[in-house]
Amino acid sequence: MKSVSELTDFYYKVLYPTLKKLEKDRKHLRYRILLVGSGYTFVFFLIATTLGKNLNFGADFLAFVFFVYFGIGAFVYKFLIKDYTDEFKNKIIEPLIQELDNRLNYTQLLHVPQHLFERSEFFKQTVDRLRGNDYVHGEIDGVRLEFSDLHAEKRHKDSKGRESWSTIFQGLFIVADFHKTFHGKTVILPDSAQSTFGDLIGGWLQSKNLERDELIKLDNNEFEKKFVVYGTDQIEARYILSHSLMHKLLGFEKKSKHPLYISFVGHSIHIGIEYNKDLFEPSVFSSLLEYKIAMEYVQTLHLAIGIVEELKLNQKLWSKR
Amino acid sequence: MSVSLIILLVVIIILVLVYNSLVAKKNQVENIFAGVDAVLKKRYDLIPNLVASVSKYMEHEKGILEEVTKLRADANKPNISDAQKIELDAKVSSALGSIMIAVENYPELKANENVMHLQHSLNEIEEQISAARRAYNQAVTDYNNAIEMVPTNFMAQAMNYQRKAVFEIDETQRQNVNVKELFNA
Repeated sequence: MKSVSELTDFYYKVLYPTLKKLEKDRKHLRYRILLVGSGYTFVFFLIATTLGKNLNFGADFLAFVFFVYFGIGAFVYKFLIKDYTDEFKNKIIEPLIQELDNRLNYTQLLHVPQHLFERSEFFKQTVDRLRGNDYVHGEIDGVRLEFSDLHAEKRHKDSKGRESWSTIFQGLFIVADFHKTFHGKTVILPDSAQSTFGDLIGGWLQSKNLERDELIKLDNNEFEKKFVVYGTDQIEARYILSHSLMHKLLGFEKKSKHPLYISFVGHSIHIGIEYNKDLFEPSVFSSLLEYKIAMEYVQTLHLAIGIVEELKLNQKLWSKR
Repeated sequence: MSVSLIILLVVIIILVLVYNSLVAKKNQVENIFAGVDAVLKKRYDLIPNLVASVSKYMEHEKGILEEVTKLRADANKPNISDAQKIELDAKVSSALGSIMIAVENYPELKANENVMHLQHSLNEIEEQISAARRAYNQAVTDYNNAIEMVPTNFMAQAMNYQRKAVFEIDETQRQNVNVKELFNA
């Protein structure tokens, strides 16, 4: 697989003509957004203040006005950047993926299906709405791999029947074949209790988590500090989490720089990287040629596609040959 | 009157909780040892086949082959204690390791499909055994901690719970495992 620096070279050399054209589009777009935005704001508040004055509404009305303002605003914004986004994805993101591995397919508007996200058991809440895009799937060295941007949300209703949504997970969700045979479930979550309350109380709290399966205490201190592991089978969890895999997962965690969720269910490894934002979207207000922006696309893709090699998922054990 | 009753009740509840947690820890150890036993048995089952496949070629290693066969017979005896099982496991691991290294000296064996299959199976079982050992060691550590730490140690004494031994994975065994991994590469 190509390295991050090779991929960065590809971004700046091969994709340069496309980037330059997109950069021109971006500047036009930015101008248009500012123009439409200020016009829209002016007209909207003109109407709102006239209405407000004549009808004498209270604070509720003000909240409603802001709600409508942002609602329509977001819709208009999405509409304005649609062409630019499509072009960016087809001409930048897709070639980047192909360059990393041409055995992978990219579909802009699909995402990893909901049942896979639920199977991962990262979160115990019910997912009421799942959105996502940038679906990549394929097979590398006999390992099936799929990932996409995901945004899972939960619906809340207050006493007045008003609806609101809260985020359960937003980030990159990856599913790949795992090379060992197992029957139970093993779920690895970021360790919040132990790092907040210390080893003794935190560890006790973890063992009392009724929502989860048995707590699995592992014999790698660094891993124990970063993660908490729950599973249906003490032996199987350790069969999966060998010393070398724990070591590799710690390396992966360092590289990802974001909270990491990992689980082993079915025949697959599930990985969730919590970025808390929509990934692979083109930047509108800063340049696509900026190194920081470019690195974000390159590194995220490299991280996701690299798991096959990084975690050595392609080295099959006897039981799976 | 009522205050002393409440205190008595609280004491009883605490005693019951301590007692139950100790029993749970002891059962966890036994439970996981059953798992260890199952994978160890899997490995013992491979030994006759392995010995039969390699003994034709291995003239110089007859001693170690006989030892492995004897260890297997010992392990299959009824009524051996957990501590004995742990000891036998260590011996078998090291003996099998030596056999696997010796196989390297016989090109006919290295190319033999049956031996290769056995080697892979042994590697796979070795991974399962290692997982089972680690799970067992953790359960025993929890158990040993409970019977030595205040306040559960008083109850453990009353219940006559004894410390249990863990699997010791010494350096020579680690090396054996490493050598085997080299085979695979």
